This record gives sequence, structure tokens and C-alpha cells, in this order.
Amino acid sequence: MNRKRNGNGTVSRILTTFSFTIGTLALALALQAPPAAADEAISQANQNCLGCHGSAGMEKKLEDGSILKLQVPAEPYSKSVHAANGCTSCHSDVNLAAHPPEKREIKSARSFATEMTQVCRNCHADKFDQWQNSIHAAMVRRGNPEAPVCTDCHSPHAVIKGAAATLEQTPCKNCHSEIYAAYLGSVHAQSLLHSKDSFAPVCAGCHSAHEVKSPSATALSQGPEAACAGCHAGVLEEHQKWLPNAALHFEVVSCPVCHAPGAEHKVDLMLIDSKGQARQTEQIGVPLFEASLSSDSKGIDAQTLWNLLQTLNRSDAAAGKTVLRGRLDVVTGPEAHRLADKSKAISDCHTCHSKGSQAFQSVTVSLVGPDGRRVGYEANANVLDSPFSLGAVKGFYAIGATRIKLLDILLILAILGGVGIAVGHVALGWLFKYLGLYHPHGRAQASPPPGDGPKTA
Amino acid sequence: MRVYIHPLPVRIWHWINAVGFVLMILTGMQIRYVGLIDVVSFRTAVNAHNFVAVVLIANFCLWLVFYLTSDRIRAYHSELNPKKHFIGSLKQAYYYGFGIFLGEPNPFKPTIYRKFNPLQSMIYQIVVMLLLPIQIYTGILLWNVKRFAAQVDFFGGVRVIDTVHVLIFIAFVFYVLVHVYLGTLGHTRMSHFKSMMTGYEDFEEEEAPAE
Repeated sequence: MNRKRNGNGTVSRILTTFSFTIGTLALALALQAPPAAADEAISQANQNCLGCHGSAGMEKKLEDGSILKLQVPAEPYSKSVHAANGCTSCHSDVNLAAHPPEKREIKSARSFATEMTQVCRNCHADKFDQWQNSIHAAMVRRGNPEAPVCTDCHSPHAVIKGAAATLEQTPCKNCHSEIYAAYLGSVHAQSLLHSKDSFAPVCAGCHSAHEVKSPSATALSQGPEAACAGCHAGVLEEHQKWLPNAALHFEVVSCPVCHAPGAEHKVDLMLIDSKGQARQTEQIGVPLFEASLSSDSKGIDAQTLWNLLQTLNRSDAAAGKTVLRGRLDVVTGPEAHRLADKSKAISDCHTCHSKGSQAFQSVTVSLVGPDGRRVGYEANANVLDSPFSLGAVKGFYAIGATRIKLLDILLILAILGGVGIAVGHVALGWLFKYLGLYHPHGRAQASPPPGDGPKTA
Repeated sequence: MRVYIHPLPVRIWHWINAVGFVLMILTGMQIRYVGLIDVVSFRTAVNAHNFVAVVLIANFCLWLVFYLTSDRIRAYHSELNPKKHFIGSLKQAYYYGFGIFLGEPNPFKPTIYRKFNPLQSMIYQIVVMLLLPIQIYTGILLWNVKRFAAQVDFFGGVRVIDTVHVLIFIAFVFYVLVHVYLGTLGHTRMSHFKSMMTGYEDFEEEEAPAE
């Protein structure tokens, strides 16, 4: 018995060891198995799900009358990073015992996708929090039906790690097609297209993947330039070699203004809380804003802008002062992405620093809307060179281009006055002498009359 | 007789200042009026403006050190008696505005320690002790706005600083034009210019001022 038992034990140990070895080998082989073996990569339970959901044409009519496709193609799913998780890791609300024929009412595809973001959050809490802080989430909260939730960018049943970061598959192009087209012509995209070793940025490289923000709503000191400097280290020092006041240029001129040649420019005057250095938020319904910032054909004029600031600072004295901070930018989003090789960048100071420069003909006054997006109001270009600008646009000045006309008149008067005094004085000297009124009385110390020839001492 | 009224350091300071002011005005005009004036490029004008400014600031410091360590600083001492100052200014203004046309003598006779007439005294104190330091200060702030951002913001922003700089520039343009013309109204047309070269102002024996 014992021997038999012992014999059985030995056999059992051999079998166990054999099984373990085979299992280990099988696991190792399984891990190295090509992803094309879709069925092998999907567990039996999941294959049960795909038994129905893998079929073409499987769909569900939603409450709003639209159709939600329920088909999950097996091949992409088997290659996705979620394949190993199993269907129920995300669809835990499905009661397998009663599925089907359990029916679940879904209002719309959009409401379902929005609801499912909470499922993504279970595993990707950090990414979800970043998204919550994005312009996209702000738009969702405002009820924008186009604003992307998780599944708009990440096809949930075909997620491949890193795919969204590639030039061809970046999901941003689905909504921002015009900008993407402009980007394709940029030095960044061309670098990616022509060099395998290129590490030029795709969309998320500058805008971040989840905490996407409107560039103009970012902190003043960390605008798009901060994103550029992320790769172009030492760029300020490079500019300082030839550009006077380079640090100031970096603050008030966005990179594309010079590095997207051919783009149209505009001045954005941002209403800033000087204490917190944050952009003022639009106060909808406040008559002051509605009356002052309402766009008419000519836009906000210099005096109106000055009055607005006076009123803002008078009415809210406890808070930080509201000031205007100017920034030269390109007019459109696509232009901002049409970045050229640096050899083509604008480096001629005359382009901006001359009176009548195109860069200063278009002016907007902007604040931040309730959804975090920039709200801009057209302003008259005279807000930059009117005497009122001395009170309103204190922090923005481009030598030559936005000079105050009144000072030019003063300079002309000074020159005319200086020359006029000399000419007038000389003329009077001639006149007095001509009239015989000049009598030096023999005083050697008396000066010759103004305008007379040199006197011998 | 001759009176030595302009010591060598003052003469050197004056002529460096003269050339410097003209260069600052010309480069300043080029910077401000790009497109209207295109003698040199904007960048060249800015670099030249900054270079000459450094020379003028050093020159100003030399002038300040000289006068602070010399008893000749009395030339810049204000006339504290308002009545005396007012009457002196009135006489001088009358002379330049009317008396000079009649051949009357200049009511003011310079000495080593009192080389400025009441009008000059007032103008030079405003120009050299008030406007020039403000111009130097605002110029330094504009030279590197970001480095001095706190001070620029304290005074209201870069446009405010620039406007002050330009207003003083306009005043200097007027001053230089009038200053050069008044330089021709000396004992002879060139006597003031010569005295600023040699240091000596010529006087007739009977007109020589009492020390």
C-alpha cells in the first residue's frame, strides 16, 4: 500500500514536474506567439462573447433612434492592449446569466460613451484626471456634443499602445483636419515623413495628449513657447546672440509669428488680473462688458478701452488690478502649425518695427470664457497708438510700429521750434540793423547782432 | 584778458557729450522711424544706440566724479535768493530777446566759479541733473525690459517708460538746436566754441570781471 502509495507519489511528482515544465514552455510559447493568432490570444470566455459580438451587422437601436454598432471585430481586439483584460473588465454591468435576452435602454451613443468614461477611469485615473483638466472636458461639461470623450480618440476594442502618437494615426486629425493638413506641411511633419530617426512632435508632443488646453488660455509665461522650448533647449540663448531684448520678444511674440512666414498677424490684448497674473474671465450679463466689448464694425476704440479698464479697476478695487497685456500672434490655428525651417523664419526687424506694419493692424481684446476657451472682441487698431494707450495698453509697445502719433507731432514742433528760434533771432538781428537800431555804443563786449558776419575780436 | 573757465575734464566731457548726443538723436530717430528713415538697419541702429549710451553713461559718471571732488561744483550751486534769481533771469531774457539787437552788452560776466548766467544755470541743472539721469535710467530699463521687469511694471509698463524716454529725447532735440545757436551769441561768433576748446574765455581789459 505504502509502496503503491509511494509509487503513486513518485509518478505524481514526475507528472507534476512534467506538467509544470510543459506549462512553462507553453506559456513561454504563448507569450511569443504571433498576434495574428487571434483566437489563441482571446480567452474562452471572451470568445464566447465574440461568438455573437464578432458577427457583422450586430447592432442596437437606441432611444434617440440612432444605431449603436455592437460588433467587436476579433482581429483588432486580439491585438489591442485590452485583449488580455477580458470583456467583463469593462462591461462588468452585463449579467452573463441573463445576457441575452436582457435589454438595456441606452439614450444615445453619445450618452453611452460619456457614461463609459467612468469605466476608463477605473484603470486610467491619472489620464482621466488630466482629461478632466482639459479644454475638451470643459467643452463636454458645457454640453458640446462634438467634444471628445475617451472613446472618440481611443477606439476601445482596438487600442494599441503608442498608435495615437504616430503621424498617421493621431486622432486629433478627425476633428482638427484643417490644422492637421497645415501641420503636414510643417518642418515637424516633413521631418517625420523623411526621417525614421526623427523625434519631431506630433499633436500631443506640444499640446499633451489628455490635458489639452487652448494655447491662448495657458499661463502667460508658459504658452506654446514653453512647448517649443521643451525640445528646442537653449533657444533663448540662441536668439540673444542677435535679437535685442530677446526675452521680451519671447514673452510678447509667439514663435509662429516669425517661424510661420507668410502667416497673418494680430495683436491679442489680454485682460489680466495683475495680482494673480491670470486672464480675466468673461462676465456674461454684466452690462459693462456687454456695452464695452460688443463688437461693431470698427471694434473697440482707444477711449472705450481705457474707460473699460478705469471702470474695472474702480469697481473691483479689492481684487488685483486689471491690466491689458499684449501678445503678437498669428491669426488662425492652421497658420500656427505651418512652421517652416528656421532658415525661412522672419529675422528682419523692419517687418514688425515700422509704422503701418501688418502685424499691428488687427487687434483683439480677449478674456477667458466660462468653458476655458478664449473669447476675443475686435478692437480698432488705434488702441495701440492713441494717447489713451498710455493708460490702457501700458504693457505692450513695439518700437516704431505702435508709437503714439502725438509724440511725433511734439518732435516736429521741437525741431521747428529749435530751428525757428535761431532763424527768427537771426532775422530780427538783420531787421534791427537794417532799421539802424543796432548801436554797439563802442562797447567791445557787445555781441555782434545775430546773423551778422563774424566779428573780429 | 583771458579767464580760464572750462577745465580740461569738463571740456573732454562736453565734446564727448556733444558727439554722443548727436549720435543718440540720430540713431534714436532711425530706431523710432524705421521705414521713414532707412539710413542704417534697425538692428545696427539699436546696437549703435546701446554702445553710445554706455559711453555717455561713463562720461556722465566722470563728470559727476569731477564736480563732486572739485570746488568748481559751485558753478552748479543754485541761486537760493528767488528775487535775485528772478531779476537775473529777467535781465538775461531781456538781453537775448531785445538788448542784443540794440548792441547792449551781455549783463552776465562769467567767472571760474560762476560761469553760468541765471538762465543757463536753471537750464543746465534741469538738463544735466534731472533729465539726463532720467533718460539714462529709462534707457537702461528699455535696454533689457525683462531683466528690469519689476521696475518697468512699477512705473506702469514698457509703454510708459518708452514715452518718458521719447519725451526727454524730444526735449534734448530742442535743447541741442537752441544750445548750438546760443553758442554763436558770444563775444564773437566763435568765442564760446573756442573757449570750450581752449578753456579760456576772452575779455577786454576794462570789461574783465572781478574775481
